[in-house]
Amino acid sequence: MWEGAVDPEDHIDVADARKIVRRSFRMMRPYKRQVVLSLVFIVVFTVSVPIGPLLIKYGIDRGITGEDGQALNRAVIGYVIIGVLAYLSYRMLVMTMSRAGEGFLRDLRRRLFDHLQRLSMTFYDRHKAGILVSRMTSDIDTLAELMQFGLQQFVMNVLLLAFSIVLLAVVSWQLLLLCLIALPFVVIASIKFRRDANRAYLDVRDRIGHTLSRLQEGLAGVRVIQAYGREDTEIGRFADENRALYDAHMQSVWVQSWYLPVIEMAGLGSTALIVGVGGWMTINGAITIGTIAFFVLTLNNLFEPVQQLSQLFNTVQSAGAGLKKVFELLDTEIDVNERPGAVDLPERGDIVVDHVTFAYGDGTPVLRDVSLTIASGERLALVGPTGAGKSTLAKLVARFYDPTEGSITFGGVDLRGGTLGSLRERIVVVPQEGFLFNGTIRENVRIARHTATDEEIETALREVGVFERFASLPEGLDTEVRERGSRLSAGEKQLVSLARAALVDPALLVLDEATSSLDPGTEVLVEEAMARLMHGRTVIVIAHRLSTAERADRVGVVADGRLVELDTHDELVANEGHYAELFSTWQGGLHAA
Amino acid sequence: MPIRRGSPSPEGWRLIRRALREQRAGIAVGVAAGIVWAIAKASVPLLVQEAIDNGITPKDTAVLWRWTAAIFVSGVVAALFTGVRRYSAFRESRLVEAKLRDAVFAHTQRLHFAYHDHQQTGELMSRANTDLFQIQNFVVLIPLTISNFITVVFVTGVLLFIDPVLTVLALGSLPLLNYLGKRFSTKLHPSVMAIQRESAELATVVEETVSGVRVVKGFGSQAAQSQRLTKEANDIYDVSMEAARVRARYLPAMDLLPTVGFIFVLGYGGYQVLNGGLLLGEMVAFTAYIGLLIWPLRMLGMIIAQSQRAAASAQRVHEVLSTDSEITSPRAPTPLPRKGTAKLGAVSFDDVVFRYRGGVDAAVLDHLDLRVEPGESVALVGATGSGKSTVARLLPRFYDVESGRVRLDGLDVRQLDLLQLRRAIGIVFEDTFLFSATIADNIAFADPLAKDDAIERAARLSGAHDFIVDLPDGYATEIGERGFSLSGGQRQRIAIARAILADPRVLILDDATSSVDPTKEHEIRDALTEVMHNRTTIVIAHRPATIALADRVVLLGEGKVLVEGTHDELLQTSASYRAVLAAAEAYDAERARHEDEDEHELEGTFT
Repeated sequence: MWEGAVDPEDHIDVADARKIVRRSFRMMRPYKRQVVLSLVFIVVFTVSVPIGPLLIKYGIDRGITGEDGQALNRAVIGYVIIGVLAYLSYRMLVMTMSRAGEGFLRDLRRRLFDHLQRLSMTFYDRHKAGILVSRMTSDIDTLAELMQFGLQQFVMNVLLLAFSIVLLAVVSWQLLLLCLIALPFVVIASIKFRRDANRAYLDVRDRIGHTLSRLQEGLAGVRVIQAYGREDTEIGRFADENRALYDAHMQSVWVQSWYLPVIEMAGLGSTALIVGVGGWMTINGAITIGTIAFFVLTLNNLFEPVQQLSQLFNTVQSAGAGLKKVFELLDTEIDVNERPGAVDLPERGDIVVDHVTFAYGDGTPVLRDVSLTIASGERLALVGPTGAGKSTLAKLVARFYDPTEGSITFGGVDLRGGTLGSLRERIVVVPQEGFLFNGTIRENVRIARHTATDEEIETALREVGVFERFASLPEGLDTEVRERGSRLSAGEKQLVSLARAALVDPALLVLDEATSSLDPGTEVLVEEAMARLMHGRTVIVIAHRLSTAERADRVGVVADGRLVELDTHDELVANEGHYAELFSTWQGGLHAA
Repeated sequence: MPIRRGSPSPEGWRLIRRALREQRAGIAVGVAAGIVWAIAKASVPLLVQEAIDNGITPKDTAVLWRWTAAIFVSGVVAALFTGVRRYSAFRESRLVEAKLRDAVFAHTQRLHFAYHDHQQTGELMSRANTDLFQIQNFVVLIPLTISNFITVVFVTGVLLFIDPVLTVLALGSLPLLNYLGKRFSTKLHPSVMAIQRESAELATVVEETVSGVRVVKGFGSQAAQSQRLTKEANDIYDVSMEAARVRARYLPAMDLLPTVGFIFVLGYGGYQVLNGGLLLGEMVAFTAYIGLLIWPLRMLGMIIAQSQRAAASAQRVHEVLSTDSEITSPRAPTPLPRKGTAKLGAVSFDDVVFRYRGGVDAAVLDHLDLRVEPGESVALVGATGSGKSTVARLLPRFYDVESGRVRLDGLDVRQLDLLQLRRAIGIVFEDTFLFSATIADNIAFADPLAKDDAIERAARLSGAHDFIVDLPDGYATEIGERGFSLSGGQRQRIAIARAILADPRVLILDDATSSVDPTKEHEIRDALTEVMHNRTTIVIAHRPATIALADRVVLLGEGKVLVEGTHDELLQTSASYRAVLAAAEAYDAERARHEDEDEHELEGTFT
């Protein structure tokens, strides 16, 4: 009933609220017409609500008590007009408001997503994926809830309350004062209700979470539970959790169960007051019977809006909190970006890493003063202990980050001065594990270049030697990769990933060699595909296998953020330095088991 | 609710009826409170009318005060009982929900392994969550609907008594409210579902773009991703506008209908008053009554739509609850021979044939014969798919054989009490599952009453004690989803401790040390030697060092015993044994390096 609850940390103050509203209005500008129309319709509709009882009052006082058939007719005709107006304006209101609101949400989703995509890797390192996703989903969903229902109700109730008070005051201020006796009780109860209901709701949400995770654990661990004959204990533990959820639910029901009677009593008690005191005034000739009828019929418009508003308050507030977080994300600055006047990188060229130092954020440098030149067509293997900085070096070459100090050039052009488009065409990184997107194999390869034709994709798959393997699947290249039953193995994912690189046909390939074991069937295929892909290209490979390092033209050893050795395999082994040591542990490791 | 013949969810309805019958006392209270509320609330306009016609119009102040007092009393009663009605309606519906949730959970806990193999956890979760929510949503409406129905009947009766013609005019359009309410609910539901579906699709795009950000950026495919997102955002817009159109069509119409009644009362009723056929107070009462009927009639429409959804949900819940476990204790189980009488723990497989899905899959065990003497330890070795893990799963009767027999201490496992059988066997799975609880609780899983020193002893034997005492809270450290996360090897050692604590007569280690760092494995090996001493043990392993622990090695292939003997014998005589070990070794070496890599996420990898 009051879906939106507000976490204590999500409270927004008046200044925040003002900023959020102003900014939302700015973003609403494309929908100005719809917004203005919505406002017109909502006013027309809301005004029509208490006009009805007013016409009944007029009919009674002028028509019936005044025995004037014409006046009665006028009241009826007026009522018909009001009814039609209310119907039409309500209908239009729903449409115009939805158009504006849903349009706003659509723009917000797209804008936020585009912004997310432009943010740098540094940003992604600092923020948890789950939180970023929830900005785009749950935060915007609370807004959608507001757009579909809350906002319209909120505005309507505010207007109705204000308008009813004005009308009642004009008709009889004495009777209005009588009604207002109950108002403080209603307001106090509403404030308490809102607070209690919010707390109860948060508690329920918490309990639902606990119950579901206990449920999930019981289902995921059912084999162990049965193996140890612990079914009864687990059932008992679940029942306790479930019972706590029930209690939380009942607490929130209790909050409603005392609040509703207060509202009901305010309405009916006021009715009694109006009839008693108002009737007495009528007998004394101070007011008319029509006025009493009007008040009895309009009383609902006084207390119900207060009740509704107290329930809507949470929805509005949590939507505001969501919007605030969304705006904060939109305001995050983008740091790695294309400079004005950027030029395309040359087709081929040497890579020169010149005195590069790099630190993630403000942390201690991960790389210190690294210099190295990789000739076009050369194959360089980077080795070293985990955490030494070898993959950071590779990431800098692919410009996932910009160096803190020093520079990296490709064919003489500083990466920071090159266009991002040309950068992605010249340099491709193949990650350790193939990451697949929802969609078919074909679509997954096309990620690399979305203008590629089917033929080009097939050629790329052939180039890494896996076309037949995928084409022979029942649905061929149109096999959905994530659907149940047709999931690809780790090796097959890697093959898709390699085909992507082939599709781009880059001058420089950065390979992060897989450390995890692949299924024996595809292991060989992956190695073959890598070999084909490396042919004729400049290659930087982060090597985890001795054989890979052995095959490279040169081997660079990275330790503690520095490039400590750089030479051919044979020379390095002969030198008895770091590499020689690594080499012997590696060999030892293989024979130890 | 009326149950139509040929209703699409007959068992669903039966389930709901049974649940309602159980709560009948509470629901009766809710209904009674609802009736009191309905009468008190519906009498107010009547009392107002009396006050106007007998007090105000004849200018009789005493009568006016009397009726005013009556309105006030009605107000108190109505207010009180609206609270009672709501509280009891929700209490009963939440009870129905909670009881069903307990039942679903308890039932799934007892269902056989094969059921869980083919059932997704998410599916079962939504049975116990969203489906029960639909049922609760319906049950809560029942007492509310009954009192609403009574309100409608009562009001109609009163109005008919005052002026039948005006009643027809005033209320004539209102049944449409009920109809529109139902139509609205039915029409809106698919749109609401579509919005949820489209939102989930958008969430998928966002999720994979964020988690695959390195790929997206690496290939500069932001534009393509933006296109996908735009498509999803447009889809959400379209279905949301569809929902808006439904609301625009029905909500204003439902709002308009009472107005029609008001207009008739004012027009026709007004002239009746002028002509002296109706009292003014009666006319005012009519208008008040129309206002009173708006919500009850709308809700009557809603409950019909909700009942259909609830029945469909109940049908799904029923499907879970009506699935019988295929593996249960026999009615008259034979007790296992007691401990201490003779050497216990003899295991035998006689001509066992087994396949995971009868009739569909190929046989995993194909006429397997295997005998393990009491106290003996046997290593099962074989390539993937050789059936070695299946052997481990048949002994505790996680599955039943298709033909042949599995025996423990000479008794067919199907003759034994299931709990007794499983308590007699300790099994450690390859993928260890630990619960969100303390380490001590996890080790004492088989025996929650176990003493601290017994827990510690088990942990020492499994080589877990040393790292446990180094944890922030030692044995009281919370692990699992919300707790401390352990490495694969640590988890396995806790799982082994769990099995040791159960003190089973047969211990099964299914690749139980695969994640343990080879350099630390010797510690566990020493401990295991002690545990295995005088205990029947079946070890499924591929590391020569672990295999060497066993008295005898059995090489399985294609569901049969290929060859058996000691490790050394097989190494010398069997080429296929050497091939299996070599393949496993290569696999292990790779994996060990991967594990090592995992523990150093400092630098991050390209993923």
